[in-house]
Amino acid sequence: MTPKTIGRTLLFLVLMAIMIFMVFGISGQIIKYGIMVFAALSSGEGFAGSENAASIMSKADNLIASLSVIITALVSFFIVKKYICSIERVRWDFLRRMFLYEVLMAGVILVLFPFFWMLCTAFKPSGQELVLAEGNPFDIIPNSPTLDNFRRVLKIDSESKAMGVIDPVENKKNFGTYFLNSLLVSTTAAFLVTLFSSMAAYVFSKKPLPYKKNIFVFLLATMMIPGMMFMVPQFFMICKMGMFGTKWAMFLPHLASVFGVFMLKQFMDTIPDSLLEAAQIDGASEWQVFRVVIIPLSIPIILTLFLLTFLSNWSNFLWQLIVTDFENPLSITLPVGLALFRGQYVSELGLIMSASCFSIVPVAVLFLFAQRYFIEGMTQGAVKE
Amino acid sequence: MAIKTTKDTSVALGFLSPFMLFFGVFLIFPIFYSFYLSFFGTTSDYSLANLNFVGLDNYRTILKDIQFWWSLFVTFMYAAISIPLGITVSMALALLLDNKLFGKSFFRSAFFLPNVLDMLVVGVIWTLIYAPKFGIVARLWTWATGGGEHFFNVPGILGDPSTALLAVIIAMTLKGAGFGMVLLLAALQNIPGDVYEAADIDGANEWQKFWLITIPLLRPILGFMVITGLIGSLNAFTEIYAMTAGGPQLVVGGETVGSTSVAGYYLFKQFNAGNYGYAAAISYMLLIITLVITGVQQKIAGKKNNDGGKRK
Repeated sequence: MTPKTIGRTLLFLVLMAIMIFMVFGISGQIIKYGIMVFAALSSGEGFAGSENAASIMSKADNLIASLSVIITALVSFFIVKKYICSIERVRWDFLRRMFLYEVLMAGVILVLFPFFWMLCTAFKPSGQELVLAEGNPFDIIPNSPTLDNFRRVLKIDSESKAMGVIDPVENKKNFGTYFLNSLLVSTTAAFLVTLFSSMAAYVFSKKPLPYKKNIFVFLLATMMIPGMMFMVPQFFMICKMGMFGTKWAMFLPHLASVFGVFMLKQFMDTIPDSLLEAAQIDGASEWQVFRVVIIPLSIPIILTLFLLTFLSNWSNFLWQLIVTDFENPLSITLPVGLALFRGQYVSELGLIMSASCFSIVPVAVLFLFAQRYFIEGMTQGAVKE
Repeated sequence: MAIKTTKDTSVALGFLSPFMLFFGVFLIFPIFYSFYLSFFGTTSDYSLANLNFVGLDNYRTILKDIQFWWSLFVTFMYAAISIPLGITVSMALALLLDNKLFGKSFFRSAFFLPNVLDMLVVGVIWTLIYAPKFGIVARLWTWATGGGEHFFNVPGILGDPSTALLAVIIAMTLKGAGFGMVLLLAALQNIPGDVYEAADIDGANEWQKFWLITIPLLRPILGFMVITGLIGSLNAFTEIYAMTAGGPQLVVGGETVGSTSVAGYYLFKQFNAGNYGYAAAISYMLLIITLVITGVQQKIAGKKNNDGGKRK
């Protein structure tokens, strides 16, 4: 036993302790969250419902603890075994990597914590959002979860239903409506932008046109103009066209995406001309060449542009705020609805958080399935420079 | 042959026309229309038809408008803090991930995720985290110190003029760090390993290798991050709207100004108050500033390229 070995072993024990603490905490929270959602789903409306959910939660306490102990034990057994079986030479490297993992895990917790907090608070019963778990302020998962907040923002709780008979228009002001509006606006915009951009990119990439290069450079130069610049004139134009407060107003000014044309042209440049010529010799019309050859070959990048445009319209708060007619709930979109809602229920954290879920959760799920397209698309502008 | 070319051109124009129509109507025309609008004043009754012509008055007012120059100052403060902070955090994450790690793509996605989420919602969540008394930060501080009055309760992080802007920047850095991280990570992995091996042979330590090899090779990406950070600061609006609404107030030069009132937010405020002409004039000022910034950047970038040419 040299001093070096002792030092190394001590360091390993410290890192191991931190690791056990983190794994235990994270796995416990995840399992508890799953059970909490289950309890909330099986609970009814109002106080009695949350009592029912609370009893499920208290019964699950032991299950959560034992499951996270098992997971932690397995993970630590695996790490310890790996450390002991490793040869002397690589042990410092092993410790370095353990440390790396711990820093990265701490980073992920820090970055994603706000969203986890949102997902927890959305299930807390009204008035209890601020109540801390006894002795442990870090335990933010509600012990008596309820779906009441979601029912209230969707206006399907018994109280709102009764009100809805009296004032059906007011009852349309719920996050179901806002969600569908946002979905409609973003999808339409994304579809049209990808269509127009791919047509334009096809020309810039493959078609002869006088001054083509100059036009393209001019397009790129306009990307430098800050978006704020267009707010006033576009607002006046939309009003003059009589579209104030309509869904058209939400996306029409954003249909010309220079970024989209640039991204698609870069990709289409890699499609060999001989393919187009072959199609033309086979007697394909111009539109058929575009539809049968160009589109299928550029599908990955078209999908990327679709997702990015969807995203930018989904969260285009400023523009949608100024063209929204608040008298007409049928045109309110999610971000605008959330801003409106926050003004009304300043202190009801649970309501605000469950309303936020309507905007965050679908995008997060979409990201999980299509993360490659998102990440590559968003970072493309920089890499291609 | 000549006939075919004409036909090809008309086909090309056909494919191009939908895009060009929207481009012309909603992106080119507004630039001139905005200039035209900037010669008009406030409406008497918020209706668009009754704008009165005021000539150059708006531009004269801007030059004397302390609020406007203050908002520019706040914008540059925002940029001056958020850009270095963002680059540092992204760089640290990228260096951490630039190792052989199991589950690397998980970490990459997890750090990137907040980028795709709605800015307004993120702002709202952070407002609640910072909130006095019931916000997480205040509660944790109470828990750790055993109660009593403290800064996080009165006036709160977002309620104090000296910390509000910084609090917004921290929230936005945590949201946006993953983006820079992905850019830098891709660039780091493009650096050939033999450059570092050569440095090893020359006896360079880790610190020297970082400053003398990594940073210079990442310069294009870092330049890109600075430029997008500047444009992002000029366009900053939603985060301010969601978190501070331009406040808290403080007095500068005899005028009450908002300590987080960035240019974009000030523009919105003027617009919302019905000063459409004035808002148009402000956006023109912002356009000029952006053009100056990009001009300077082009010049610097061009100079660097020339130097590179000479050395070769």
